[in-house]
Amino acid sequence: MKRWLGITNVLFILVTITALLPSAKNSSQSEYTIGLLLFIELIYIAVLLFEKNKEKVETHGDVTAIIYVILFLWELFTAKLNLLDVHLYPAPGEIVKLFLLEIPEMIKGFISSIQLLAGGYILALVTAIPLALFIGWRKRLYKVVKPLTKVLGPIPPIVYIPYAIAILPTFKAASVFVIFIGAFWPIFINTLNGVFNIDRRLIDSAKALNVKERSMLLEVILPGTLPAIFSGATIGLVLSFILLTAAEMIGATSGIGWYVKYFSDFADYSKVIVGIIFIGIVVTGITFFLERIEHYLLRWRK
Amino acid sequence: MDMSKISLKNVTLQYTDNNTAYTAIKDVSFHVGEGEFISIIGPSGCGKSTLLSLFAGLNFPTDGNILIDGKEVTGTGTDRGVVFQHYSLFPWMTAKKNMVFGIKQVLKDKSRKEIDAIADEYLELVGLKDFKDKYPSQLSGGMQQRVAIARALAMNPGVLLMDEPFGAIDAKNRVVLQELLLKLWEGGSQKKTVIFITHDIDEAILLSDRIIVMTAGPGTVKKEIKVPFKRPRDRSSLVRSAEYSELRNKLISLFYDDLLQKIGGEEVVL
Repeated sequence: MKRWLGITNVLFILVTITALLPSAKNSSQSEYTIGLLLFIELIYIAVLLFEKNKEKVETHGDVTAIIYVILFLWELFTAKLNLLDVHLYPAPGEIVKLFLLEIPEMIKGFISSIQLLAGGYILALVTAIPLALFIGWRKRLYKVVKPLTKVLGPIPPIVYIPYAIAILPTFKAASVFVIFIGAFWPIFINTLNGVFNIDRRLIDSAKALNVKERSMLLEVILPGTLPAIFSGATIGLVLSFILLTAAEMIGATSGIGWYVKYFSDFADYSKVIVGIIFIGIVVTGITFFLERIEHYLLRWRK
Repeated sequence: MDMSKISLKNVTLQYTDNNTAYTAIKDVSFHVGEGEFISIIGPSGCGKSTLLSLFAGLNFPTDGNILIDGKEVTGTGTDRGVVFQHYSLFPWMTAKKNMVFGIKQVLKDKSRKEIDAIADEYLELVGLKDFKDKYPSQLSGGMQQRVAIARALAMNPGVLLMDEPFGAIDAKNRVVLQELLLKLWEGGSQKKTVIFITHDIDEAILLSDRIIVMTAGPGTVKKEIKVPFKRPRDRSSLVRSAEYSELRNKLISLFYDDLLQKIGGEEVVL
């Protein structure tokens, strides 16, 4: 019984009652706020019922509580008290309603964006990893390339955007190129350092087995470097996303970054917020996906 | 004509670090016969592990030469199996995969099925059949060393090089592993030549036919001692015998002699 009366559920009741109170203006769409609250609460109840790990339940409850507090303040200051500029600060219900309406449009944008992102990012993965493995393994090459990475690596890739747009035939090619550059360096540098820092004793062990170079690179160096590759790939992914949206805001005619920029030009801030939330969801989804892959491939670690 | 399996002639290894030359090993010569079990003991820094890396072909002498079967060592080879104290196994491979990875370096033409069968056979031999799908991180230190030994044996090398393989294992499990190693070595159809690095005097006596005592700074051979006990050896009766104590005391005095001299000769701040 006690777990049903935690702070999270008390907050749920509080914020739901607040949403049910009459609004200061009719356009607040508080029924959508309530819909969202019910949706979040249903997930929480499911966790309470089915999750065995106490700590996970607790964390989920805490996060849910924070969301309720934000929704409470948001609903209170916009819909109920009408203290904020309606244009700049739409009520939560309006955003929820608009979000649902805009889903098809945003999926279109997502499909357009993901092509650029995947193009640049995958290109970075398939070039940076083999190149870094090979260079890291050859000490002499490593010594030449290492200082080069120190000069080229830290250049913020955003500065390449205008030039890339100028020299490449299409906006699409320019975006893919910039995303590629942005993702390439963190993956390349991390992999390179990963190869260099691999435990000498493991290399010796492989040498003692008389392993040939191909096998050494693919079956020893590559898996041994995988933890470093993943940390580079995660940074690379985040950077790609930043570059994707930046590029789209500068020159695209579709995509999720374009969506935000386009509607902010019209001062349609409700759609801007919807776009930002959607980008947040997409980024979370992709990072989660990458984490699952990492978790699986590095399952041999303690 | 030199008939020994392994022979070292005036082996010296120098290296430079920060423009200073160091001599890790100086003028080491000895022979190892076919099927002989040799232990090399000595204090840390006496170059015993470095010596093993020379046998393995991971490192090369700056002077003198090492012959195995009459041929100079020019690199690593599958005629020698190595078991290290740590990281013999690859952490991203299961016990079985580690076995298969090693075996296929030797038996390149065998089918996957045959290699699998050999891996299973040797894992069973060291009592780890049920752990074949575990990763090294899921195995105890002792189990990891068993897999490493099983892999080295499955590759069927003429020479087994072991660099303090039980150095990180607790005393009780160390005894179990020593017995297992002896059983496998004595039970093999053709006895392998073993070079075993250790700093454990009892371990050296129990396992070896001959013990080479090294001393540090620079690493040289101080003495070679034959272990006269018959095989198979029974640990409990052996350790109670007078001959055992005599040999042990002799080794201890050799082992600690220069250590004590060093402490006596220098100002020691504790």
